Amino acid sequence: MTQQEFKRNCLIAVTLAAFALPLVVRSATYLHILIILYLYAYMTTTWNLVGGFAGVLPLGHSVFVGIGAYTSTILWLQYGISPWIGMLVGAVLAAGVGYLIGKPTLKMRGAYFALSTMAFVEGIRVMVENIDMLGPLKLNGPRGLNIPPLQMGEGSFWAFQFSSKEPYYYIILTMLVAVLAMTSAISRSKMGYYLKSGGEDPDAAQALGVNVARYKVAAMVISSFLTALAGTFLAQLTLFIYPKSVLTLDLSFELAFIALIGGRGSIAGPIIGALLLRPVTEFSRIYFSATLPGLHLIILGVVLIVVMLYQPRGLTEPLLRIFDKVAARFAPALPDTPDTPDTPDTPDSPDSPNSPDSPNLPDTPDAPAGPDTQGTPAAPGATASASPREERP
Amino acid sequence: MDPVFLAQDCINGVLMGLIYGLVALGLTLIFGVLKVINFAHGSFLMVGMYVAYWAVTLSGLSPYPALVIIVPAMFLFGYWVQHLLIRPIFIAEKNVREPITVIIVTTGLWYVLDNLALLVFGPDYRALNPNPLKGQMLEMGEIIVSVPKLYGALATLATAGGLHLFLQHTRLGRAVRATSLDREAASLMGIGQWKIFNIAFGIGTAVAGISGAVLTPFYNVYPTVGIPFDIKSFVIVVLGGLGSIWGALVGGVIIGLIESIGPNFMTSTWTEGIVYALFLLVLFVKPSGLFGQKQDW
Repeated sequence: MTQQEFKRNCLIAVTLAAFALPLVVRSATYLHILIILYLYAYMTTTWNLVGGFAGVLPLGHSVFVGIGAYTSTILWLQYGISPWIGMLVGAVLAAGVGYLIGKPTLKMRGAYFALSTMAFVEGIRVMVENIDMLGPLKLNGPRGLNIPPLQMGEGSFWAFQFSSKEPYYYIILTMLVAVLAMTSAISRSKMGYYLKSGGEDPDAAQALGVNVARYKVAAMVISSFLTALAGTFLAQLTLFIYPKSVLTLDLSFELAFIALIGGRGSIAGPIIGALLLRPVTEFSRIYFSATLPGLHLIILGVVLIVVMLYQPRGLTEPLLRIFDKVAARFAPALPDTPDTPDTPDTPDSPDSPNSPDSPNLPDTPDAPAGPDTQGTPAAPGATASASPREERP
Repeated sequence: MDPVFLAQDCINGVLMGLIYGLVALGLTLIFGVLKVINFAHGSFLMVGMYVAYWAVTLSGLSPYPALVIIVPAMFLFGYWVQHLLIRPIFIAEKNVREPITVIIVTTGLWYVLDNLALLVFGPDYRALNPNPLKGQMLEMGEIIVSVPKLYGALATLATAGGLHLFLQHTRLGRAVRATSLDREAASLMGIGQWKIFNIAFGIGTAVAGISGAVLTPFYNVYPTVGIPFDIKSFVIVVLGGLGSIWGALVGGVIIGLIESIGPNFMTSTWTEGIVYALFLLVLFVKPSGLFGQKQDW
């Protein structure tokens, strides 16, 4: 078994374990924490499409979450259209908004893009807070929108409401796996290379004939489309949305932080970031919110500063190096059992219940293309260029 | 509309706008030299306000004499923040003129400072006590002017004038300007780039400290007080042109006027939306702002 196969097997095992997890974890609280973790991993991955690959710093992604959440909720409440359809409508709408923001701003340098995305999210929040009725659409201003739950104990797929946590778990996990497969395909496609070249050195890329701005805008559109899907999911999970919950800078910043600490531009980065940071947030909220308010934000800030100063490419890189070493040790030792030993997962997944999130480790530069969790073939033409040193048959 | 009310609103707007300009002044100064945006600027203002609050409470001085304590303390704070946190980024990313990592690190600093303040001082809104300027009004005919705001506006003009003189007419000021124009060339002329960066950052932070002292007599101190000013400062500096001192003041006055006159025509919460719309408009139409230089964006 080659290292490559070994890694793919690890990946498949982790994904399967993630899908099997609800069989073991019966507590609704823990499932909810996992759902939120996946949701953040999902949103951070979509953020990473712009913030990581394209090398700019979007600080307003919550605007797309908000558009997704509000669109599907309004369509459901006022017109009885299933949130599943509303999800797509919201995503298309968000993609349009993403185009409108991205087109003029992505040409600018450095801080200007970050500032304008921030201003955009604040502007939209002020608007939503001040508008009760937008034409025939009821936004309900700062009070937000409440989705009345279906009858007690009843779930309905059509209404995107379920009586237990498991369906939410499977939906968000599927979304996460899909978006990861998609990101890894994009990162290995022509567009991915163009984006990265533009992110690293826009002038050189432009000199080589890459239309940097156009690819950045395309990434922005895709990213906003996908982010809005998470907005609908969030609305259906909490059944209550208001401007300060979905249209805030806090959410935008948190997504950026997770991606940056995990490792911007790497596919595993958002997952590892979410794995490391969400538990800190959840537990300090549960145990310290009364005695030490804001503790988790101090931790977040300190971790962010330290990581940026000492490991600017994020925590994924050193973790992947450990994983590579482990793979190198195990691969020769296991000649022909494709069965999956679980020990090697430990380095990348600090707490075992969450281990499902490492599916995409092999997609980072030193692992060749191919083994997506879903077995989808790599993007055409990408395999040849993307397979580096350890290509040993 | 009654002209007296309009005049009253205009005066309030200009005074408050100048104080906004003072907050933005520190930001624009730092940008002018380092070419990076300090996202923690609002938190620096918050720190400045707490320093002012405690300096006044413990020493019993009035806020303006207390500047003797506030300005050096804040200068040293900024000096060391730049030295310890921001300089390493410039060293690590030598070939990048405006490293985006600085935004990230200063945002981290923002979170740390705001929540440390929450942890240490609690979420209470604190008002200055004793407050010699409390509620003082100057009546000029039918128009009433708030004295602390008037002092604040005067302090703004004095600070801006002082900075202008410092930058134009002192040796160190010339070194700062040279570094801002071309840091490599300045280094070749024997100007220590890092020292200038530290000093510029220190001065920017000290200006935030002055704003803190100016604000405390009529504005409550609480851990997240910096955030509204932070975002407003971003708008102001972009409006006036990043790096321009007088641009910051003009931008501040524009924002102040929108906020004070706007509520006559619309719900007051909408003015905030107008401010953001104006900001985006400037970004899209003339990103260099009113007084900025083209190469800075």
